[in-house]
Amino acid sequence: MKKLLLTIGLILGITTAPYAGTNIDGSVQSRCTVETDTPGTYGNPNAYTLTTLPASSGQVPIVRFDVSLANAYYAQISYPTSFSSSPSLSDSVTWTGAVAVVQTSTTDMSGYQAASTTPTTSMRQYALTVAGTTWFQATSVATYGGGQNKAFPGGSYSAVVVAQCIAQ
Amino acid sequence: MYRSIILFVLLCSKAVAHEMTPTYPKWGITYIEGVKKATMKMVNKREDVEWYEIDVFDDKWKPIPFVTKSKIFKIKYLGHKKFDVYINAKDSERTEYLCSTSKLIGDGSTKPMLETRICSRFK
Repeated sequence: MKKLLLTIGLILGITTAPYAGTNIDGSVQSRCTVETDTPGTYGNPNAYTLTTLPASSGQVPIVRFDVSLANAYYAQISYPTSFSSSPSLSDSVTWTGAVAVVQTSTTDMSGYQAASTTPTTSMRQYALTVAGTTWFQATSVATYGGGQNKAFPGGSYSAVVVAQCIAQ
Repeated sequence: MYRSIILFVLLCSKAVAHEMTPTYPKWGITYIEGVKKATMKMVNKREDVEWYEIDVFDDKWKPIPFVTKSKIFKIKYLGHKKFDVYINAKDSERTEYLCSTSKLIGDGSTKPMLETRICSRFK
């Protein structure tokens, strides 16, 4: 019975739909999303330093970029260069930092090694040449006292990592 | 079994992204002569951000005057917003980028915060 129904179905299928080709039209809309993968924290290894380095109990912030099409966007990431602090600081803060690719959704990361420096030295630009996900980290170290290594006054210190997705 | 694991992972993962489309908007006509309009869409998947600012720039990143319902607006977490940006037709030809930037509010803790910015380009 089952075989008979299957045979009838096949015959009907052939006779009622002699042409079964189907076109599927569409396009992929390019899209970029930027998000915090890992929030950062500052460690305080000594009185005059705040750092995101894990060795000093900090945590390096990791930013995730998702693009639906390759070569549609540039990623620009900047490590912080100022504090929004409470209380306000009377002396200067010296910043050092680095931006690096942590991982991509492809094993070939060769395209991500040659980051160009944008007009600000703290910012790096990468062409997102692979569709998918790329993770970047922005390490930062801040020392207080204009080279005199003075202790940071007690309070809370927030700094801003800038992550931009710029259409190419 | 695998479905349950995937569902569990999806439910546990936080959405934390900032998104704006289209990537390549076009200036369209309006009923006002000499004024052009572009329609954009934003999605806020950042739980820590509710406010965004819109800016328009030329190819040298110099600001270009524009009009929109509100330059800084609120989008709730997991909310989306469609908005129109109006510009003088003369300026539309030199417009290169339309950007949305997240506005951050400090929470009193010592940490680096993330300012996200997405720029669409007029080609």
